[in-house]
This record gives sequence, C-alpha cells and structure tokens, in this order.
Amino acid sequence: MTASVLGIYNYWIYVLLMMIGLYGVIAKPNLIKQAIALGLFQTGIFLYYISMAVIDGGTAPVWTTIQDGAQKFEGPYDNPLPHVLILTAIVVSVSVLAVALALIINIKRRYGTIEADEIDEIDQADRLAEYAAGQAFDAADEAEAEAQPAIRAAAAAAAHAGHAHPGSHV
Amino acid sequence: MTTIVIIDTLLLLLVTATAIAIIEVRSLYASAMLTSVYSLLMALVWVNMHSMDVAFTEAAVGGGISTILLIGTLVHLPREEKKLKKRLHAPAAITCALAGAALIYGTLDMPNFGDPMAPIHHYRVPEMMSQTVGFINQTKGKQPAPEGFDPYAYRTFNGAVQGIPKDPTDTAWRETSIIAQRGIMVPQVLTPGHEPHHEAGHHLHPPDDFNGHIPNSVTSLLAGYRGYDTMFETTVIFTAGVSLIMLLRRPRREGEAQKSAPMTDQVILRVVTKMSIPFILLFGLYVITHGELGPGGGFQGGVVLACGFILFALVFGRPALYRVLPPRVTDVLTGVGVLIYSGTGAACLFFGGKFLDYSALNAASPGEGEALGMTLVEYGVGITVSMVMLTIFNQLAEEQSK
Repeated sequence: MTASVLGIYNYWIYVLLMMIGLYGVIAKPNLIKQAIALGLFQTGIFLYYISMAVIDGGTAPVWTTIQDGAQKFEGPYDNPLPHVLILTAIVVSVSVLAVALALIINIKRRYGTIEADEIDEIDQADRLAEYAAGQAFDAADEAEAEAQPAIRAAAAAAAHAGHAHPGSHV
Repeated sequence: MTTIVIIDTLLLLLVTATAIAIIEVRSLYASAMLTSVYSLLMALVWVNMHSMDVAFTEAAVGGGISTILLIGTLVHLPREEKKLKKRLHAPAAITCALAGAALIYGTLDMPNFGDPMAPIHHYRVPEMMSQTVGFINQTKGKQPAPEGFDPYAYRTFNGAVQGIPKDPTDTAWRETSIIAQRGIMVPQVLTPGHEPHHEAGHHLHPPDDFNGHIPNSVTSLLAGYRGYDTMFETTVIFTAGVSLIMLLRRPRREGEAQKSAPMTDQVILRVVTKMSIPFILLFGLYVITHGELGPGGGFQGGVVLACGFILFALVFGRPALYRVLPPRVTDVLTGVGVLIYSGTGAACLFFGGKFLDYSALNAASPGEGEALGMTLVEYGVGITVSMVMLTIFNQLAEEQSK
C-alpha cells in the first residue's frame, strides 16, 4: 500500500497544483492574479507529463559515450517524448502570459482598474447609462411622434390659410 | 529510485506551499517574486526527474523572463489586490474540491511512478525514435514502421522475449515478468531480422555506433519526428510578438524624448553588466548550437540571448538598446527565424526528401544531414524566440515610460 501511495504521489501533487491554479482563476478578481494562477494550472499539467516519462533507474535521455573507451551507460533512458511536449509548452506559456499582460494594460487604460468585479460594475453602469440615454432618446422620439398630428394639422392649417388668403383676396 | 522519490516528495511539498502563497498573498509584487521562486523549485523537480531540457527552459523562462515581464507590468498598475470581503470563495473551493477528487480518482488507475512497463514507454515512442534518428549510410529519415513491427513485444536485456498482454485489465504479467524483478533490464521493441539498435527502442538502449548520431534524443524528436509541431509552436510565439506590437505599440512622435531610468550612475552594476553580457550572449549561442549534442536548444538559447539584451536595457536604458538593436531590426528578425525554419523544410523538398526530412540534406551521409538540419532549425527557433521575448519586454517597458 505504501509503495503504491508513493507510486502515484506525483499525480496527486499535479492535481493539487492544478486545483490551486483553478481556484485562483475563479476566486481572485484581480486580473494579474488570474494570469499567474493560469500559469500554476499549466505547471500542474507539466508535472503530470514529466512524471509519466520517468523510468525506474533511468537517466536523462542524452546518450553519453566515450568513443574509444568502454564507458557507456547501457540504459534505460527516460522517455524523451513528454520532455519535448513540455519544453515547447513552457515557452508558449510565457507567450500566453505576455499577451495576457498586454491585454491587462489595455484594460487598465480603458477602465482604470484591473479588478474583474469593478470592471463589471463599470460595464453595468455604462450599460445603465446607455439604457437611460436610449430611454431619453425614445421618449423624445415618442413625444415628437405624438406631436406629429398636431404639427401636421398646424402646417395644413397654415397651408390652407396660405391658399385661402389669395382666394379671399380675389 | 528511493532517493528520487524522497527528494521529489520534499521538493513537491515546497512547490505546493509556494503555490498556495502565490495565490493567497495580497501584494502583487510579492506574488510575482514568488512565481520566480516557484519556477526555480520546479526546475529542481525537473532535474530530479532527469528532464534536463525542461529544467533549463523552466529556469530561463519561468525564473527569468516571466518575472521580468510581470514586474515590468506591475510598475504602472496597483501594487496590491483589492481586499476581499470573504477569505474563502466557497463556490470556487467546492468546484475545485469536486474536480480534484474526480482527477485523483482517475490517478488510481495510473501505472506507478517510474514503472518501466507503463504503456507510455512502449507504444508509439520507440517507433517515433526509429523513424527520427539517422545513422550514417543507414536509416533515411521518416519511414513507415518496419514490417513485422509488434508494439506489444519487447526484448529484455538478457535477450528473452516478452509480451505485454493486449487486454489492459490483465495485470498478472507485472508479477511474472522479469521487469517486475527489477533486474538489469532494458525493454526493447523486438523486430525480427534486425539488430535492435537499427530499428526501435533507441530511447531505452543506446546504439553501439554513435557516429553521425544525434545524442540528445529530446532535440532529435523535437526537430525530427515532431518537426511540424515545433514549427507551428515557433509560429505561435511569433504571433504572440506580433499581437504585443499590435496591442501596445504607438506611433512615436518625432523628437519625443524617451523617459527611461538607466542605472548608469551605479558603477558596480554598470561594470558587472558590461563584463557579463558578452558571456551571456556567448552562452546563449552555445546552447543553441549544441542543442543536438546536449541539453539545450533553440528555445532555451533564445531566452538566454534575450536575457542578455534585457539586462543591457535595464542598466543602460532602452534608448541605448535601441541604438544597438533598433525595433525595426528586431521586428524583421522575429519573422526571419520562422522563415529559416520553414526554409530548411523547403530545402529538404528541394534535395528530394520530404518536408523537414533533414537526412535529404546530405545524400552521402544522412546522419550528418540530420545534424545539419537540426542545427539550422534550432537557429531559426532561437532567433524567433529571442527577438519575440525582446519585443515583448520593449513593448511592456515602453508602456511604463509614458
């Protein structure tokens, strides 16, 4: 039992790291914190991949030899494939972080804050203001529409008066 | 094995504690510095698990560049996160607990840590290696799996042939196989009629003939079998650089003096920086060039090169860096790296091979062609990575000087 617990200990830590990252992404409103937490989530996955690559008694997958001497490690070597995947994933993760930071800077410029809930409030206020402006516009529109018959009548009356005037003159 | 597990256990406890601190500490600066600590601990974990290339990348990227980027961004942002009303976000905690429990339940079926019989060591990878590695006058790049290739059969070190049952629920073989007795064994895929090192299982057993051979199997997989993947990873990094330029670059007005905070009055910093920068750049170039011989390669070397330039910019100010490396040059070079990579692939087509089949580059000695192609590709990756990292730093720093 102990052997098997030690045997999958690494996989438990990977779950733990991933969940710490996920908690940060959900629970923290600060956008920088969220970007960092996303990085923690990623390293959890890296740990999972690299743990799978290990072979009992193995060593780094770089074949060492001394050409003429007899010194040569006969293996086994660790599995290189997960290393390849994670190597590129780490560099891509820093690109993701950089793009996230650039977006956060733009958000700061636009909203003046980097707290997600405050940004939501500002958005909500903006929407309310927009709605109020729309309402006012509609009200003005409606008033105009209501006034239309009267305006038309007035115009017709004026036109009639204009027509009638020369008539009466004759 | 036990030493690995003991060191691993301690390191991972430290890593977990650091991760919790990163999330819980309120000062964003402290959080950024802790990510650096976290990355260095992670690099130690990777070294402990014999994953040198990943450790190298983690130390350079996580411990170096990403911390610089975070701090460069935090300069013009609030330094502390807002005080939350509740310490624990209950819905998030419940979600994470449930998801974590489901994942841990999933790990119960995983093979033990370091188990040589884990499926990952036996399916696909030996075949990939056999198609990647080039020998002088022998293997010619990527080819379909040889006739009679049986991924379920392997040869132990003393020559006995064993089989893995195709039924995954049958675990009795674990107890009966030689593997289980932890003797000197090397699982090898058995291919009838061939010497083992000519065909498969290279990653588990070194070939006798190292001439014209790529010693670092990580690089040979990275640039060889997974060449397409790596090419598009490079394109992803290139895209990140382009998007940073699009998001943050403003047209510079003529005569606008750039504010910067050079530390040129710090004599010790200035002298030490001047002395160390040539060695940093040289080391970066060494890491790129020797990618196929030892741990390292384009990704790591590119980041080290970028660190050299960033150090220069931090101490002498960005105007000085722009005199050495104008933004126009870095912008062009980000694209040139990707072009070198895909151009190497196109050159392979021109010499009669498949795309990115480097053995075609040298018809007389395919192994040397592979080495040449991998070095060219690593240089492409290195140029793109270093220039993109530099562009990202420049854009974030330019923002702060306004």
